[in-house]
Amino acid sequence: MTVLQPDLSLARAGAVRLRWPLAATLALIPAAFIGIGLVIRYFGYAASVSDETIAGFPMGMCRWDCSWYVYIAEHGYHHFPTPGMNAAGNWAFFPVMPVFVGLVHSVLAMVPTMTLATAVSILMAYATSIIAWPLLGKDLKAYTIFSAYLLAGPWSIYFTTFMTEAAFILITTAALVALERRSYLAAGIAAGLLSATRIVGVFMSIAIVAQLLGDHLAARKSWRSFVPELLRRPDIVLSLLLAPLGAFAYMAFLRWYMGDGLAFLHVQRAWARAYGNPLTFVWEALTTFPKSGWIPTFPQQLATAVITGFVLTAILLLRRKWAAGTFSIISLTVPLFAGMASTLRFTAAMAPLPILGSRLLARNWAITALVVLGFFVADYYVARAWIEGALSLV
Amino acid sequence: MSSAAVLSRPPRRRLIPWLYAAACLVALFELGVTWLALHPDVPPDYRAYYLDRSTTCLDEPVNGSYSFGTEITFRSSPDDRLIAPVRVCGWEGPVGDGLHAVGESARLRFAVPYNATHLTLMLELVAVDMAGPQGQRVVVSVNGTRVGEVRAVPKTPRRFDFTIPDSLLTASHRLDVELSFPDAILMDPQDSNTRKRSIKLLAGKVV
Repeated sequence: MTVLQPDLSLARAGAVRLRWPLAATLALIPAAFIGIGLVIRYFGYAASVSDETIAGFPMGMCRWDCSWYVYIAEHGYHHFPTPGMNAAGNWAFFPVMPVFVGLVHSVLAMVPTMTLATAVSILMAYATSIIAWPLLGKDLKAYTIFSAYLLAGPWSIYFTTFMTEAAFILITTAALVALERRSYLAAGIAAGLLSATRIVGVFMSIAIVAQLLGDHLAARKSWRSFVPELLRRPDIVLSLLLAPLGAFAYMAFLRWYMGDGLAFLHVQRAWARAYGNPLTFVWEALTTFPKSGWIPTFPQQLATAVITGFVLTAILLLRRKWAAGTFSIISLTVPLFAGMASTLRFTAAMAPLPILGSRLLARNWAITALVVLGFFVADYYVARAWIEGALSLV
Repeated sequence: MSSAAVLSRPPRRRLIPWLYAAACLVALFELGVTWLALHPDVPPDYRAYYLDRSTTCLDEPVNGSYSFGTEITFRSSPDDRLIAPVRVCGWEGPVGDGLHAVGESARLRFAVPYNATHLTLMLELVAVDMAGPQGQRVVVSVNGTRVGEVRAVPKTPRRFDFTIPDSLLTASHRLDVELSFPDAILMDPQDSNTRKRSIKLLAGKVV
């Protein structure tokens, strides 16, 4: 990847001497956070269970949706009727992450699934750090904060256990890097993978259109000429069609496998989702005050995450980051129609938001160090809360 | 990079037909999948629960294995292993105070001996507390035919016997018992009807 290349001025100053140190620095920073994060979360795990072992650590961190992914990686998707004789089929879980881990597991069958999945997730988070370099303004402070966020930060549990978030943030970042370079075909391919990772991944196709439209209008061209110009560019047309291809492939699989291509939507009935107005959900969550003490309730924690997400999204749009802003606003809003569940996780894994947050926080090295230390402390306590079943982390 | 810069670098001329062809293929695939997705090929039970939403109870193919004449306790107990084969859908638990009905109906299935006749179904029910003094009506059907309606009240479990006419016995020697709850309570206006609450089942028997 060219993201590993140093600035041209640096390269001119001494290509051989300076190219290696920057690449090495970029490689080593997240590598260090891998180790630190693992140690922190291990201590969190050890403090939360009575029978801690290093071998049991990966499985010990497997909570909530994780067990669904383990099942899919080991056994695949449910037929109908489901083996458990209940309505909750596993079709709601999109395939990229569990199928990838399942494929790796088929090669390395002697390694426990959760150990493999943990390694795969960590490698994905590591790769996310690396490829995000240009999106972070090639600023080493922002890069340090973002790497710590992924691998040793408060929400590192999502990126280092068997959830779908590690793949989601990696592929989102890849799509945004491609869009930043106006490599529409690459963005379309990445978006296609994203749409098979989580259902909201299909909205990257709208983000690509938003980027195209933003560029078109910035070039002082008329709205009317937008579609005709697009149609004259077969690479862009193909990119837009590739963007939802992963979701369509999953639909084709489900139709062939169990008869209903939209099973991932229909199965939501088994979870008895309550649908309603997102504003009402956020307001109700925000005003669910603790009955005693001052610690915010779980709904308040979720509402805070959502509001933070929308504030960061607004900043993205103000900065004319059309693709990132459009993708974030749609992907944060749509799940809110089904309530507040998992909104912290969705916000935490929305790549443009932590990338922007890292850039905003990276004022100087002192603040960067403080932020990173804060991440370490939060990582420990959130890991414990995760293991102990805190509902806001679901 | 501006749009003008983007548009100044179109794909190579020789690639253009191939790119359009690839786009057409992808579009055709996506249209085909959309058509297939809008025309699912699923069993009637799947359609009723997930697609039409005409029931809150997904009829699961449990075998109804049952030791004829045995009273099953639906509270969490060592008898749990007896519950799984007869519990079809619409239940949560068992927990200490029984099997909780969720949704607008719930089902049980009992396999009976091939020569069984003059059967009676016994169910011990209690309404959920929020039902209030009026309790919950429970309409009981066996193999698709209504065999009675009872009223469960909160806090005081009641035993009800339902006579099953021999005409309802089928060649499969199974009793498919459906309990419908016309007064089931939605706990929150935004809740799904699959979360409605009504009664708890404490015990059951076929003799």
